Formats: sequence, structure tokens, C-alpha cells
Amino acid sequence: MAVSIAKQGHTTGESLVHDEVIYQETRDMRLLGFVLFLISDVVLFSAFIFAYLYLRNTVTPVWPPMLDGKQLPRLDVAFACVNSCVLFGSGVTMHYALESWKHGKKPAFNGWILGTIVLGVLFLCGQGYEYTHAKIGGWSESIFGASFFTLTGMHGFHVLVGVVYLLVLWWQANKGVYDQTHYFGLTAGTLYWHFVDVIWVALFFLFYLF
Amino acid sequence: MAVATTTTTVAPHAVLDHIHPEPTSFIRKYIFSIDHKVIGIQYMITGMIFFVFAGLLAELIRVQLMHNDGRFVSPETYNQIYSMHGSAMVWMVIIPLVTGGFGNYVMPLEIGARDVAFPWLNLAAFWMFPVAGLLLFASFAVGAPDAGWTEYPPVSLQGPEGTSLWCIAIFLIGVSSTLTGINFIVTIVKMRAPGMTFTRMPLFVWSQLATAGLSMIATTALAGALLALFLERTFGIPFYDPRHGGSPILWQHMFWFYSHPAVYIMILPAFGIISEIFPTFARKPIFGYKMIAFSSIAIALLGFMVWAHHMFTSGLVPWLQLPFMIMTMIVAIPTGIKIFSWMATLWGGSIELTPAMLFAIGFLITFTFGGVTGVFLSAVPVDLQAHGTYFVVAHFHYVLYGGSVFGIFAGVYYWWPKITGRMMNEALGKWHFWVTFVSFNCTFLPMHWLGLQGMPRRVGVYADTHDAVFWNQVASISSFFLAAATLLLFANMIYSFVKGKKAGPNPWGARTLEWMIPSPPPYYNFKKVPAVLSTPYDFGNPLPYIGLERTPGAEAPAVTRTPAPAH
Repeated sequence: MAVSIAKQGHTTGESLVHDEVIYQETRDMRLLGFVLFLISDVVLFSAFIFAYLYLRNTVTPVWPPMLDGKQLPRLDVAFACVNSCVLFGSGVTMHYALESWKHGKKPAFNGWILGTIVLGVLFLCGQGYEYTHAKIGGWSESIFGASFFTLTGMHGFHVLVGVVYLLVLWWQANKGVYDQTHYFGLTAGTLYWHFVDVIWVALFFLFYLF
Repeated sequence: MAVATTTTTVAPHAVLDHIHPEPTSFIRKYIFSIDHKVIGIQYMITGMIFFVFAGLLAELIRVQLMHNDGRFVSPETYNQIYSMHGSAMVWMVIIPLVTGGFGNYVMPLEIGARDVAFPWLNLAAFWMFPVAGLLLFASFAVGAPDAGWTEYPPVSLQGPEGTSLWCIAIFLIGVSSTLTGINFIVTIVKMRAPGMTFTRMPLFVWSQLATAGLSMIATTALAGALLALFLERTFGIPFYDPRHGGSPILWQHMFWFYSHPAVYIMILPAFGIISEIFPTFARKPIFGYKMIAFSSIAIALLGFMVWAHHMFTSGLVPWLQLPFMIMTMIVAIPTGIKIFSWMATLWGGSIELTPAMLFAIGFLITFTFGGVTGVFLSAVPVDLQAHGTYFVVAHFHYVLYGGSVFGIFAGVYYWWPKITGRMMNEALGKWHFWVTFVSFNCTFLPMHWLGLQGMPRRVGVYADTHDAVFWNQVASISSFFLAAATLLLFANMIYSFVKGKKAGPNPWGARTLEWMIPSPPPYYNFKKVPAVLSTPYDFGNPLPYIGLERTPGAEAPAVTRTPAPAH
């Protein structure tokens, strides 16, 4: 155990007990800082969601808006449902990844986290498919395209960062950085992944159902 | 685990007690340091350099307005000058100085911590600041932004290339500000010395806590607005351009959702600074400690509910104007609580008029004046009349220069001995104050009636009615004195380095924790982390700290005058 604390940079070499206290206090601080970071990220999404709702409710009499004299179609809900399920499923697998780590089941952890990564990549591919097949015109042609591609693009960027983040965590876990009681990085990764999920719930509702 | 059960045997807050080894190389010690004190000083130096440039831009504005026919610079150049003056003062001077500068240097010392929660993050946040500042000023090379510091579309969409640089620079300083906010909240919540409950924190720490919440939440909203503006300028993504279905009003909402809280980001730390100075130089407990502390939080919360009062003339629906007007007026209540508490602190105190105290009292006068005109402007009918005139310019210079910048000056005089270990020249400091105070009022007071008589802001020419040229010349000439007065501060700094007396740990006889340790503080701040028993302002009681390794000279308050008779 002392090895893993040392790898996370929490050792002062004074004593095991001292190292443990340092670890716990640092972990609590990092957790609070990470949650605050996620809150500020929520505000960033909220700003664009506000922009989308504002434009939708003020400058256009109909939604979807008109482009070149024709009303744009709505987005394809069926495909988005499937793609959303992929992302929500990855939230479930990530949950099990963390749980299996807590219970010391390393092979299961590896399976779950790699599964999460695969689902994340699949979601991004689905997103790419949707971008090329959506019939709402380009990014710069209407406020529909502007808000849709900007918001989902920002979300996709967060998913991409998340995939890289999870890959790093998977690599770290197998290098012995974490152990059964010292796994803050995995907690943070799980939080981040759930955060990306929750943002998608909002976007899915606002763009496809609303 | 066996370990978990034995943790009670070690002292709580092991992190607090932990000392990093001090770096020895020049670069790690002074350039890329993770020490909050060094980073604080870096913020102050960088901020002061940008202050000089932003101040020079202001003087260019005043030179132009000496005459009403715009004979000094072209209208295009004039637009760039005032846009850059405002942007630089807000984002590169005041916000970094009051949060990154004073916040970094003083806040950890006042809570008895050895550093902030995330020192590496602090280092990263600082280095975004000079980069952002240089990017902002570099925009002059490609055509500086010319739509005012608020950069309203559609003008900003048509603005020169530098407007995109402006977006990047402000985005970057916003990221820095957000990271600093997160860092400070975690520091204040998790790293206070044992016994320092929230209601025993110095008021400066309270103000930093409120400010950190604001910068953390509001700044990312601005980042969104800037990103959208940048995308629209670069790729033509229609958010703001009405020709492509966007809405210019959208920018105003997003911009002011950040920028009104930003006003409080600029003023709350100044409130904190003078809340430290008043009890120290009045030798009296602060009046209404809890009310001052909680009103900071109240102002921060209200700050999110008033943004549209900047938009009364933009066609905001009337049923929305009224709540925004009322909420804005309500801000005057927590602010008034503070002002009256400070006055009650001074009342019957044994007042020592050091330069820091003079600036704090000057703050009280000029800020209150600016606050009152703010209540005028919050009234919809008055705002419809005064919007976009020099009355508004007068109002926000009273709160931002007479408030934030006076607060910064007060803080510089107050903490200079702690930071450098040397005293400043008191007479020179008093000259600085009086020249600043008089020339400040002569510069900005006439703008009130110039504005009410119809002089528009952001226009380099004006009609010569109602002696407008005369009053503008009064303002301009006074502003030259105002700028020159700042040179007295810089002269004082040089004097202090060359000839300043050794300060000792506690030259003012103050009682917050930073004065209990040597000046300048050692790398690890506290030899032993103290325990705190009470609030720091109870003059007359013994110091509320135990376990602090006493620094000789720190405990005896240097009372140089006899206490005032009891009332």
C-alpha cells in the first residue's frame, strides 16, 4: 500500500500512518476541487444552452427555423436514442469498473473500463455519423446548426477527453498507481464520465425531444 | 484497514503541517515558483505593469477630450484606445491584482496555511495572465478591438482582426480566473488552521471566498460568450449576427451575466482589504463582523440576479425590467450594511492616519458616492435617460477607481512591510493619497453633469454646450495629476527598497495571523501551525492564537498614540 501512496506523491517518509493521513486529506481537497471544476464546466454548457433557448424563443417564429424559404426538418430521434443508449450504457460499465476495483477484482475492472472506452468511442462514431447525415444544414447556415453543432461538438470534445482520460487511468491502474483503498484518480474519472452522461441527458432532451 | 483506525494518533491537518523542500534554483524560486507568496508578488508586478499601460491609454482619451473637435487622434484610433483601456483595466489590472495578487499573498497567511490547496495549478493560472495580457496588447499590431470593453455585436463582428485576439486573451485570463477561484475555495474550506472556524476568519478571507465563488461560476459563462463570438468571427457561425438569424442581444445577456458579477469580483476583495485596515488603525474591534462577512456572500449571490440592468435600453420587455431594477436596488442593502459597519468601526476609535488608512477612508467616501449614483442608474427611467452618457462613466470610475483601485493602493501600503520587510515613506504616501484623492474627484466629478447634459461616452467629439469644453479640460488636467500621483507610489517603492526602515514582523500592531510571523515571511510561512481561539479583531484582549512560535516583536501592538477616551 505504501508503494501506491508513494506513486501518487503523498509520502513524506515520516511514517505509514502519517502518509495515510496526508493521502486522505489531499484526496478530500482534490475531490472538492474536482467537483468545483465540474460545476464551472456545467456553467459553460449552461451558457450555450441559454444561447440556444434564447435564439429559439426570440429570433425565429417557428422551430426548427427557416432556411432559404423552407423549414428545416427535426433531428432523427431514433438514431439518437440508440446512440444515447450507448453513452448511458458506458456510464453503467464505468460504475461497475469502479466497483470491481473497490472489491479487488482487477480482471473485471480491466474488462469494464475497456468496455467503457469502447462504448465512448462508439458514441463518438455515432456522433460523427449523425453530423454527416443530419439534414439541418451546416454549422454556419442557421441558428439550429450553430447551436446544435456547437453544443454537441463541445460535448463530443468532452467525451473525447474522457476517453483519453480513461485510457490513462487504465494504464495507471495496471502500473500499480492505485490500490484497493487508494484510487482517487479512478473516482475522479468516474465522476467525470457521469458528468458527461448527465450533460448528454440535457442535450438529448433539448435537441431531440423538446 | 488497520491504518484507518490509528489516524487519530497523529495531529489533525497533516497536510497543513507538511513542508515542501524549498527550491534552490533561481528559476524554480522566482520564475516558476509554486510558493503562493512568490506567485502573489508576480501577479502584483505584472498587474502594475499593465496598470501603467492601461493608465497611459486613459490619458490619451483625456488628451483627445481636451478639445471638442477630435483633433488628437482619428475616431477609429479613439475607439481602439478606450476599448483597450477598459479591457486592460478590468481583466489585466484590477481582477488579477485583487484576486491573484492580494488573494494569493495574504489569504493563505491569514488562515494559517503553508500554501494554497493546489500550488501547481496556481503556477499554471499565473502564467496564463502575462500571456493573456501580451496577447491583448498585441492586438494593436493587427488593429485593436474597437467596440468598447463590452464588445457588443454587431460592431465587434465587424471589428478589426485584433477583436479575435481580444477573445482569446480574455478567454485565457478567464480560465486563469476560474482555476484561481477553485483553488481558493478549496484552500479556504479545507486548509484553515485548527480552531479557525468560518466565523473566526479574517474578513479579507471572507471576501476572497465570496469572490472565488463568483469567479468560478461566472467566468465560464463569459468563456461561452467569447467562444461563440470567436466562432462567429472566424467561421461565421451565426449566434449574434441578425443577418444570419442570430441575435446581438444574446451577447449582452451572456456578457453581463458574467460582467456584472465581475464588478463584484473587483470590489469585494477591496472591501476585504479595508475591513482589515479599519480595525487595525482605529485600534477597535470591527463593528458587525458577521454582518460584514455575510453581506459579502449576499452581494455575491445578488450579483447573479441583476445583469439585465445594463440592458434597459436594449428593448428588454418591461415586465423583466422591474425585477432587475428592484434586485439591483436591493444590492444597496448589504453594501450599506458594510459601509455603516465600517463607519461604526471608526467611531470613537484611536485613529492613526497612515497612508493605508487614508486610502481606506478615501475609499469609503468615493465608493459610497459611486454606489449612490449606482442606485440612481438602477432606476429604469433614470437609466433610459443616462445610459451611454458620461454619467455612467463617472459612476463606474467612482466605484472602480475610487473603490477597487483605492483599495489596491490601501492594500499596497498596508502589506508592503509584510511583503518586503521594509517600511515605506509615510510623508510620500500621504502626498500620494492627497494628490490622488483631489485629482480623482476633479477628474470624475465633472463627468456627472457632463453626462446629464448629454455628453455621450465612447465618442471622441462633443458639442460645446454648457461649458462642456471647460469641464472636460478640468477633467483632463486633473487626470494628468492623477497619473502623476501614481508615480509617487512607485517612487515610494524605490525609496523603501533603498532607504526604508526595517519593518519588523508587525509594524502596525495588527492582529491577523500574517503579522505574527517575520517580514518577509519564510518559505514555509509558519514554523508551527497555530490554533485559533477567536476572531482577530478584538483589540484589548490577548491574541487569540496558541501554539504559534512567537516571533519577537510580533505580539506587542505598536500603539503610538494614547487610546481615545471611552464613550
